[in-house]
Amino acid sequence: MAQLELFIQTIISGFLLGGLYALIGLGMALIMGVMRIINLAHGDIMMIAMYIAYGLFIFLGIDPYISVFIAAPTLFLFGVGVQKYLLTPVMKVESILPHNLVIMTVGIAMVLSNLATVFFTGNYRSIPVNYASSAWYLTDIWKNSPIELSLSMPWTLSFVIAVIITIGLWIFLSKTDTGKSIRATAQDLDAALLMGVNVDRLRNLTFGLGCALVACAGCLFIPIYYLYPSLGKQFTNIGFVITVIGGMGSTNGAVIGGLILGIFESVTATYIGMGWAPVGRFAIFIAALVFLPGGVASILRRKRLGK
Amino acid sequence: MIRLRIIMLSCFISFFTINAFAQDTLKLGIPLPLTGTNAKFGEIEKKSYEIAQDEINSKGGIKGKKIVLEFEDSQGKPEISRSIVERLIDKKQPVIFGEYSSSSSKAIAAVAEERKTPYLVVTGATDDITQQNYKYVFRMNPSNAYYATGFMSFLKAVVKPKSIAILYESSDFGTSGAEDMVNQAQKDGIKVLVKEQYEKGAVDFKPILSKVKAAKPDVIYMVSYVMDAALLMRQIKELRIDTNLYAGGAAGFAIPEFIENAKEASALVVTATLWSPQVKYSGAKEFAEKYKKLYKDYPSYHGAEAYSALYIIKDVLERAKSWKPDDIRSAFKSTNLMTAFGPVKFVDKEGYTNQNFMDSIVMQVIDGKHETIWPAKYASAKYVYPIPKWKDRK
Amino acid sequence: MKKLLPLIIFAILLIVPLMGLSTYVMHILILVLMWSVIGMAWNLLGGYTGQVSFGHAAFFGVGAYTAGILYQHLGISAWWGLPVCIVVLTVLSLIIGFICLRLRGAYFALATLALGEICRVTAENLVDFTRGNLGILIKERTWVEKTWFFYIILLIAAGTYIIIKKVIESKLGYYFVAIREDHDAAESLGIDTTFYKTISLCLSGVLTGMAGVFYMNYMGYIDPSIVFPLYDLSITAVMVVMIGGVATYWGPIIGAIIMVFLAEVIRSLPQIGAAHQTIFGIILICIIIFLPNGIAGGDYLKLWEPIKNRWRNKGTSL
Repeated sequence: MAQLELFIQTIISGFLLGGLYALIGLGMALIMGVMRIINLAHGDIMMIAMYIAYGLFIFLGIDPYISVFIAAPTLFLFGVGVQKYLLTPVMKVESILPHNLVIMTVGIAMVLSNLATVFFTGNYRSIPVNYASSAWYLTDIWKNSPIELSLSMPWTLSFVIAVIITIGLWIFLSKTDTGKSIRATAQDLDAALLMGVNVDRLRNLTFGLGCALVACAGCLFIPIYYLYPSLGKQFTNIGFVITVIGGMGSTNGAVIGGLILGIFESVTATYIGMGWAPVGRFAIFIAALVFLPGGVASILRRKRLGK
Repeated sequence: MIRLRIIMLSCFISFFTINAFAQDTLKLGIPLPLTGTNAKFGEIEKKSYEIAQDEINSKGGIKGKKIVLEFEDSQGKPEISRSIVERLIDKKQPVIFGEYSSSSSKAIAAVAEERKTPYLVVTGATDDITQQNYKYVFRMNPSNAYYATGFMSFLKAVVKPKSIAILYESSDFGTSGAEDMVNQAQKDGIKVLVKEQYEKGAVDFKPILSKVKAAKPDVIYMVSYVMDAALLMRQIKELRIDTNLYAGGAAGFAIPEFIENAKEASALVVTATLWSPQVKYSGAKEFAEKYKKLYKDYPSYHGAEAYSALYIIKDVLERAKSWKPDDIRSAFKSTNLMTAFGPVKFVDKEGYTNQNFMDSIVMQVIDGKHETIWPAKYASAKYVYPIPKWKDRK
Repeated sequence: MKKLLPLIIFAILLIVPLMGLSTYVMHILILVLMWSVIGMAWNLLGGYTGQVSFGHAAFFGVGAYTAGILYQHLGISAWWGLPVCIVVLTVLSLIIGFICLRLRGAYFALATLALGEICRVTAENLVDFTRGNLGILIKERTWVEKTWFFYIILLIAAGTYIIIKKVIESKLGYYFVAIREDHDAAESLGIDTTFYKTISLCLSGVLTGMAGVFYMNYMGYIDPSIVFPLYDLSITAVMVVMIGGVATYWGPIIGAIIMVFLAEVIRSLPQIGAAHQTIFGIILICIIIFLPNGIAGGDYLKLWEPIKNRWRNKGTSL
């Protein structure tokens, strides 16, 4: 029985974690689809959103879940600015190595994380909200249950909000004109240009949107984790692992990829050992790169074409 | 012409006065992690060194010279600590002391021994620093293997567990802390059911905590720094893992931030520690209160170590026949000093060289603050045991 | 004159240890030389062959651990790491190559990043083999003074420089650059791109590994976070070459000098010290925008153009 409880609890944890991971992956997938670059500053943008939410909590008492509405637009504008003034100029420059965009994002990441260290000091901070360790328990509902399962309140809330945001994004991408233009640009840049899409403006928009998404993820992470200037790195890693598993540039793939990663990490941690968890993450990344280069998206596409 | 001579004369005089002034100070460089992951502890130690510096200087300094401390940031990286120390030795500093982490202290110890300059280890806990037969390295804090002696006696007398689960972070400190607990447990006949390492900064401990829950140990022992410690306890509470005792292996569990961040989840958690503001060593309470008045919180045991370290240095430099390395070394060997941290005497025992051995104590979080509970002679409050299940709390 | 320049510099470096500089300055110079080796090795794979790696820490760390494990488990001097690492690192490069070289561009970069991290965590977890985070400590380093260490790293650096120069000036060099410029065109011309990329990777890996062996012997203490770090090693290697000049002989050396000096100088400044990464980041950003091929990359001439024109033709240009 204990083994069953362990297994179910592992899967639940993995699922909840995956939902949050998916939100991080979504932002990166969007940026990757349109600009074909891997934004290695993604995690650090999330870190900034978290500090904004932290500041809002300390000075104005605003709950992190509400801060989403403030942090996301702020980082959207930030993203637009970064794209317009830092990334687009680089795209126009000729150089021996075409990787300059990626390295540019590395530079931005360094500046962001280091500035944060200088301004906020390396101190770990957290927002100990009242519901931080509350949970719903199976035994509370089903009195004689043989196993005990718990569903953490902040994790579940974050997961639900992440799902709502994802659905919102899906609606935006498939029903609105702007959304369709983004997908068009991601599919075929030249065709989109020919169709009259203002590619420059769209790039700015997309990068901003990607930043806004990861800002939401940041706010949702605060109640269950904590804050320090260099947390960006691990989330950037998670981001690109998800994007690759999901299939470069595919938003549906990113969602599925996030869930896969979350559950995989959870299972690895329980049954192999938590020290190996980062290896698991990267191992699945390399496996995806080598064996399934198109990611989950290619499987989806094959299914759709197969019909 | 006369103006020139006046200028030259005044330069001459000011040169001598400045030099004379310089003779009155003793500059001591201290490597500390002032930025990076251990910055918090580096800061606590820096503040404590400064309190000691002011006290010593107001009483005349060391042999009449005022101490001027220069803190150098090692960013928590052993290579940088090492190059800082090489530079200090180049500048002919007679004795080296400082650094927080085990790995940095280890790196410095190697340099100090090589270049035959005495080094006082203040906080680095990993056992092998004083197991290398180094002649020039002296450690004032107990090594990792002895961190938990007070805690083990508490287990034997009160808790009497049959099994234990150990979770530890993958650092030097965590790994050696866990190894030592495994050895101690085996000696005392306690079965180690789970031993898991995790990488610092992990988001989700629930998988391994679920594993721990399934194993049903009598004690859960964690060697972590503060944020992981807080997150572990919070997730333990979420998963409603019940056990007879939750215990920490010092560091993260022993500072006020742990209680601030874990909130109700930190209640009744016990931790092994080396010092608390309630111990009865002379100077301990005064130091703790002085620190609290300046910085609003009690210092952790690292602060007490730093504060006392400067006093040890003062004692050594005053007793040494000269400030040549070998004379300072002999002065170290004959140290027998009571400090705010505890009694300090460097002995060769049980495979350790120049190591100080001390009792360690146990604290418990009672009513939102750390109280010393064991051994009874140091206790500020009675221990709470057995502890209620999560379901039955509040 | 230009041909003799490297020899002159080498001769000057030979007498540096005799100049009685402080141990600290010697330490800085040794670091510069070590980073030159790492930079040149990376440049071979990245600058010349166009395969940008974000995971060179893997090679460096494995080199360092080869030396360390020989010392720890076999009780022999860690300097044996130098010959042994050639074998170990060739094997590692072949494995990494097999996994990653089929990937292009940014995917390759990410895959190498992932492999670097995998090496780090593996080293942390295989405690019985590598002592995990307890690290490997060499109780008595071969020498206390820096002189002989300096000569050894100087030799390694000079050797690296010569090897790379010879390789690039040979047919191999042409193949590498062809692969960089247009992978598919090279393939269609009959160049076995996988084979040549693998050679480039192996050479790059072995040279970086030697720097790692040197590091183990010189520093005397390593642990996974010191020799496998993502930012401090892999990304710094990229920065060294990008700032110094990609695909040039002297670029990595210039980059190494700048990075090491900047790091030390900025670190000791009182207030700004903590912000040294910000400054590096800003430098990197500026270099990418204004001098995308690095300082030695020849772009500064392009920057100079509009200023020169305005000077000469007052109003015709721009």
